[in-house]
Amino acid sequence: MHGGEMGRIKGVTTKQVLTACEVADYLLKSCDSLCEFESFMFGSSLLGIGCDFDILIVGPAGEPLSRLKAELRQAGDELPLDVLYMLPDEVKETKFVTSRICIPLTQLAASED
Amino acid sequence: MNWQVNYAIENISQGLRNVTVEHVRDDAIRIVMPSKPDVIAVISAAYKIGIIEVVRYHEDFPNMDFLCGYRKLCIWEGEAIKYVEDKKIGWGSSGTLISAILKDEVNTAAHKDFYFAYRLIEQNRFITELDREFDRVFRVTLTNGNTLRVGMIMEYEPTADAIRTFWETFGPVDIAWNINPNGNPTQNAIEAGKDLGCMVVKWDELKELLRNRF
Repeated sequence: MHGGEMGRIKGVTTKQVLTACEVADYLLKSCDSLCEFESFMFGSSLLGIGCDFDILIVGPAGEPLSRLKAELRQAGDELPLDVLYMLPDEVKETKFVTSRICIPLTQLAASED
Repeated sequence: MNWQVNYAIENISQGLRNVTVEHVRDDAIRIVMPSKPDVIAVISAAYKIGIIEVVRYHEDFPNMDFLCGYRKLCIWEGEAIKYVEDKKIGWGSSGTLISAILKDEVNTAAHKDFYFAYRLIEQNRFITELDREFDRVFRVTLTNGNTLRVGMIMEYEPTADAIRTFWETFGPVDIAWNINPNGNPTQNAIEAGKDLGCMVVKWDELKELLRNRF
């Protein structure tokens, strides 16, 4: 567990709870269409806490996006994913990648090795 | 053990001090705290929670204190919300459950993403009727008889995709209300709303629309 002050768990197999790096690696391997988009993780899951994994996908709308959504839905069937889809213009307008300290999935997956 | 139960147990144990979290059976967990009654929470992996699911969970776990839709995507139907609220069962996300435990209000807690926004609507004096169709969609009748269907968009900065996906999922709305006070809809989101035929607004704009009876 995470230190004496935290809550205790009875009967949970913590190996079944993936780390952020493991999730990044799993998504890159499961979703072929990810290579057509920029993909990131952000939020508290990067610190090993939080209810879910926040994923940012950047790219154009259209058929490839629909395909990616279907792949992510399937990959996330047993994962708590929260996926945000942004157009490149929207990333520029909101400065989301820098303001929310988004880490590329490829970088996270590489650190898993 | 189901995947969402594993994540919930891990998450609650990290988020709360001095608690013990036990798996009861199936989707149910028990949260044991010193000097407080135990909490029985049912952790659902459903994408949509309707009246059938809620009644089934309640029959399986009559002493359920809280029903958690673990997925961020989980949608609650209005009838299901009414049922749990009538039965004094808290409802919402994993974050809602943790907040509710900290505040000692597990049995009355409502999804924290929507709670404050919906309360603003419940308290608005220009509304005569209010019908919650889903956790994030409601229909209001204004004092002049006009009706509006409103969607609550919880994203920090709603995108064009968020607006289009909302529309596809819940059907047409007159207003897409960005309820997150810390962000603003992108220009593309506002344009997407115009294309679809709805306004994408923040609370100040919605308040004015209600005051002017739309």
